[in-house]
Formats: sequence, structure tokens, C-alpha cells
Amino acid sequence: MTDRVVISPTTRQEGHAELVMEVDDAGIVTKGMYFSITPVRGLEKMVLDKAPETAPVLCQRICGVCPIPHTLASAEAMDMALGIEIPKAGKLLRKATLAAHNINSAAIHHFLVATDFVPEDKFVTAVDSVSEIRKNVQYVVDMIAGEGIHPSDIRVGGMARNITPFTKDRLVERMTALRPKLEAHIELIKNCVAESAEKLGIPEDLGVVNQPLMAVDPLYGSNDFDMDKFSEVLPETWYDDPEIGKRGCSVIPLWEGQNVETGPRARMEKYQGFKGKGVIAQHVARADEMLKNYDACLEALDAIDPAASARADYDPRGTGELGFGIIEGPRGTNAHMAKVVDGKTAFYSAIVPTIRAYDPCLSCATHVMVVDDEDKSILKNEMVRI
Amino acid sequence: MPLGTYKEAVSARSTDSKILDVSQDGGIVSALLCYAIDEGIIEGAVVAGTPDDDWRPIPTVVTSSDEVIAAAGTKYSMSPTLSALKDAVRQNGLEKVGVVATPCQVQGLRKAKAYPFTRFVTEKVNLIIGIYCMENFPMASLDTFATSKLGFDSLTEASKMDIGKGKFWLTKDGEDKGLAIKETHGYEQAGCNVCQDYVAEWADVSTGSVGSPDGWSTVLVRTDDGESVFKAAVDAGLIETKPMDDVKPGLPLLEKLAKGKKDKNTAERERRAKMGVRIPTIY
Ligand SMILES: Cc1cc2nc3c(=O)[nH]c(=O)nc-3n(C[C@H](O)[C@H](O)[C@H](O)COP(=O)(O)OP(=O)(O)OC[C@H]3O[C@@H](n4cnc5c(N)ncnc54)[C@H](O)[C@@H]3O)c2cc1C
Ligand code: SF4
Repeated sequence: MTDRVVISPTTRQEGHAELVMEVDDAGIVTKGMYFSITPVRGLEKMVLDKAPETAPVLCQRICGVCPIPHTLASAEAMDMALGIEIPKAGKLLRKATLAAHNINSAAIHHFLVATDFVPEDKFVTAVDSVSEIRKNVQYVVDMIAGEGIHPSDIRVGGMARNITPFTKDRLVERMTALRPKLEAHIELIKNCVAESAEKLGIPEDLGVVNQPLMAVDPLYGSNDFDMDKFSEVLPETWYDDPEIGKRGCSVIPLWEGQNVETGPRARMEKYQGFKGKGVIAQHVARADEMLKNYDACLEALDAIDPAASARADYDPRGTGELGFGIIEGPRGTNAHMAKVVDGKTAFYSAIVPTIRAYDPCLSCATHVMVVDDEDKSILKNEMVRI
Repeated sequence: MPLGTYKEAVSARSTDSKILDVSQDGGIVSALLCYAIDEGIIEGAVVAGTPDDDWRPIPTVVTSSDEVIAAAGTKYSMSPTLSALKDAVRQNGLEKVGVVATPCQVQGLRKAKAYPFTRFVTEKVNLIIGIYCMENFPMASLDTFATSKLGFDSLTEASKMDIGKGKFWLTKDGEDKGLAIKETHGYEQAGCNVCQDYVAEWADVSTGSVGSPDGWSTVLVRTDDGESVFKAAVDAGLIETKPMDDVKPGLPLLEKLAKGKKDKNTAERERRAKMGVRIPTIY
């Protein structure tokens, strides 16, 4: 006889999820279904028929953990949909912003998993370095992008303003001073993860998958996206339990018909020669990637010419062509797509990393199905973009 | 008290001719900002410049004495000064900021400092210099005064703008042309008619011309922060002072005008309230 164990909602991810496990007589989990039950917000719909500048402002609210990647993906998609080539300074400011944000997000992640991995005697040190790192990289985001959480100054066409020479020096100085702390933090986390993996007896193959890797850039992103390789399936089709298929709130995106792995480990393997698979390797890759982002941030800051314009003038009417903004967020590849016709957003879609990453954070992935209130039959047999 | 809370009232003037050449009155605003920047008390300030020399005030972030002095002088139109505050504390990277503001703007700023609505913005403001203000004019009103009432071809011909001795003044080719204040009535911003604050009661230091002789300013030092900057600038020899009792017309005129504004505008508030119009809170 199999038993069902349901944990709902699960914690330690962004949004709400449910974990349904089937357990056999010997108490072994034979099957696990982990799916999003985060309710709908409707952002992809809200931006329709509005000015293109509305999209980055609303879409950054998709998530409070990844507001920067969503804003950047949205702005990049709009830039392309409007045929804008953003100035070099604007691009460098965006790159510095994302790199700083990704360090911040990795640090938060370490805070969230600290209770699992960090022994009591090192806890205070770990929390202290998380705070110190976050304070400094969020300062960079604040100064460049306006706000550390929902950035007001990432705009269609570039950035609202360039930074002054004074600010550039101040940011370079603060980031340079952060390096020893960051390096020590990365070592600490990696050691803690390795030690506790051994102590807890975490199987080496836990979380090892052999799916194709999805990453479009070592650090930032690109606007190249081959729509033909992309498809989405409904949770109904994906989960063989019809009840769960109906309750799941996110579509399952496929690349060349397969589900893929995205996130720090995928990026690090694809571009940085990282070896190692599975859950533990993901933690190591995330920690190592902090330093890659650190270097990228300083490099971008260094290259910024504060006298240059950071925003292009543009024609807001739109090309009518599909624009892509593909950003490598902390938890993986985040793709926004937009089409602008006659100055109004005519199509908008966000394909978010969550469902392809080990690290689910669910709000960004939520989609809906239309169900008849009375008899619960599915009226619209497709996921409605939200 | 019509003048709000203050520690000290003095008549004062900058000792720097570079400032006095361009300042509206005694150059107290510019002298304090220059001193505070040079001493590192603030890293910069938000002022109202007019980059196109057309009297339209544009909120400007300044970080040097030269930039402070370039923005000296009163522009009698609304400057959305607080809108540049974010720019000052973000892309300009300033951690300690001075702000020059009219009484209404000082109120908004104090309120924003008191309530946690903004993040890492208003807490970086550590010097608020308030300027006295009876009323303010939309740019279109200033154009009308210049062209329809004073016979200028355009407002940009004016080299100086001032209000004093019962008149609105524009200077052209060294000659002052005055328009009786009552002729300007109806041209002011409507909100100014319910405004109760003449002397920037919530500033660190407030200053204006009324009460002191020409070329001098009346200064109300209000807070500990304001006092320490003002005293230090005086001690450094950048500002000279005279007791208010020694100057004419002195504090009684300032008190009279401040009370007059409160009385007149309280009556207007009541008139509007009776009509069911929403009116702002008094602080
Ligand atoms: C609309 C208005 C009405 C005024 N009414 C009176 C009055 O009735 N009685 C009185 O005694 N004084 C009044 N003043 C103040 C007076 O005109 C002088 O600004 C003040 O005395 C400071 O002079 P100063 O020589 O010390 O300053 P300065 O060294 O000349 O510096 C003036 C500073 O004010 C800033 N500024 C200029 N225009 C504006 C604006 N529109 N909004 C915000 N900041 C600005 C400038 O950027 C500069 O930093 C008024 C000012 C304004 C703006
Ligand atoms: S009169 Fe009051 S409301 Fe009008 S500009 Fe001056 S301070 Fe502001």
C-alpha cells in the first residue's frame, strides 16, 4: 500500500508550493510532485494596450526576489521591440546592476540555507558576511538603478541617468574593499556545504539530472532566442495525477522538447568549466559564481564613462516585431518577449527560470487555467498568460 | 508664534563679494552652502538654478562652491526641488545633502524624513535651508508681468527679479521697473493662498530679506544642526552679523507679515472649506 504525504504550503522558496510524495510500505518515497500553487497576478495581461514603458515598471513586480532580472528582461525586450540600440554606458550600467544583484541574491540564498548547512559556531560569522555583502552590492544597485528592490531607473532605451565620476569612484572603492570579505564568505559556505553533506550523509547523486543545460550567457544575457525550439506544456500533461495537473499553477517550458536545467550550476558548467552535478554542486556553483559576478561588476563600473549618455532617444511606436530580453538571473535564464504596435504593447510573455531551476521561487512562474465554477471542467485548455 | 520656533534671529550678510555680486539678498543661502560643502558637512545640495537663463527654476544638484554661486538668486516660480533629491542621493552618490526650499517644500521634506516612506533618501538630507515665501508664481504669470504689465519684449530681458517695498521688480539695463504687488494678485499659485507658513518654520535655518536693510538678510536659526553650521560659518569669517535690534525695520515687520499671512490665508481656508473644497492640513 502506498501512502501520500502532503506538505502544503512548503516554505523557503518565494511564493507558495505544494509537495506531494508517495511513500511505500518501507517508508521510501517513490514519487514526488512539487508544484506551484501561487495565485495569479495577471501581469502579462496588465501590460497589454499600454505604453511600452509600462512593462518594465509592472513586470518588475513579478517577484520581489528577482526584481532586477525581470526589469532588465522587460526593458531589453522592449528595446528590441522598438528597434532601440542602447548606448554603451547604459549597457555597462545594466551589467553592473545585474552582477551586483546576482551577488546579493546568492547571499540571500545562503542565508536561507544556512540553517541546513552552517554549524552553530559559524552561524554568526555567516550571517554577518551575508549582511556585509548585501549592504555593499545593494548600494551599487541603489546608486545605479535607483532602488535595490524595484529599480526605478532601468528604463526602455537605457538607464534614467548616468552616474557621476564621484559616484563611480565611490562604487569602485566600496566594491574593491569588499573583496576579502566576499572571498572569505565563499570559502566558508563551500566548506560548510561540503562538511555537512558528509555529516548528514547526503547521497552524492541527490538531484543529479542529465538534462540539457540552458544558459545564454556566462553572466548577463542576450537577445538571441530561437522561438522554434521553445514549447510549453500544461501541468495537466506533465503530472500524471489529474488532480495535481489541475491545481498546478505553472506551465512547463520545454527546449527542443525536453525540460532543461538552468541556474548557476548550468551556467558555470556551460561557460566556466565547472564540474560536479546535483544539489551539493549547485550550492558550490552558486558560491563560486559570486566571484565571477564580482569581477564582472567591477569591470563594468571601471569601463563606464560618466560623461556619456546612458539613454537613447527612440521612437515609441514599435516595429511590430517580437522583441526578446533574455537575462541570466540568479536562478536561471529569464526570458521576456514583447511586441509593440502603434505605441501600445500588443503581446507580452515571460518565460521564467523557476520551473527549470533546482531553486524554485514561484511567483514568477504562475499561469492560470480557466475552469467552470460549477462542474470544475476545464473551459480553456491552455495556460492563460498572466 | 508667527515665526515658529527659533534659537536666534540676526541680520546677516556674506563677506564674499563673489557671492554678494549674484545673491538675492545677503547671500546667506549661498554662503552657508559653500561653507558646508567646503568643510565636508554636506557633499552637495539641491538648489534651483536656471540653466537657460530664462528664469525658469530647474532643480539642480551642486557639489562645489562655483556651482552653488551659479545658482544663486531668486526665481519667483515653482521649482520642483524635491524631485531632484533622488538624483542627488543615487546617481550623484551624495551621502550628506543640503536642500534649499520654500516653506511648503520644507514641510514636505520634514514629513518625508519623519515617515518611513522613502528608503535611503531623506535621511541623507542633513541641512535644510528655508527661504521666506509669501507666494509663488507660475512661469506664465511672470511672462505676463514682464510683457503685458511692464512693457518688456520678453521675460529673458530681465537681469534681476525681486519682490520688496510693496512691488514686484524686474531690472533691465540697470533700471528697475516695479509692479504694485496688488497688481500681481490672482496670478499666484492657487495653493499659496491657503499656505500658513511664511518663514519656513521647519527648516534648520530660515532666511529672507524682510526685516533687514537692503543687501542684508534676516536669519532665523532654528535647530541644533542649523546653529552649528551657521555659527561655524560666522566664526570662519564668511558671514557678518548684526543684532536684529540694531537694524531697521527689524523683527516686528517680519512678525507682522508672518502673522498677516496666517490670518489672511486662514480666512481663505475657511472660505474654501465652506464651499466643500478640501484643504491641506496645518502643521
Ligand atoms: C517664490 C519666493 C518667494 C519669496 N518671498 C519672499 C518674501 O516674501 N520675503 C522675503 O524676505 N523673502 C522672500 N523670498 C526669499 C528671497 O527672495 C531670497 O531667496 C532669500 O532671501 C535668500 O537670499 P540669499 O541672498 O540668502 O540667497 P542666494 O545666495 O541668492 O541663494 C538663493 C537660493 O535660493 C534658491 N532658489 C531660487 N529660486 C528658488 C525657488 N523658486 N524655489 C526654491 N529655491 C530657489 C537658489 O537656487 C539659491 O540656492 C522668496 C523666495 C522665493 C523663491
Ligand atoms: S506661499 Fe506657501 S505654498 Fe506658496 S510657494 Fe510659498 S511656501 Fe509654497
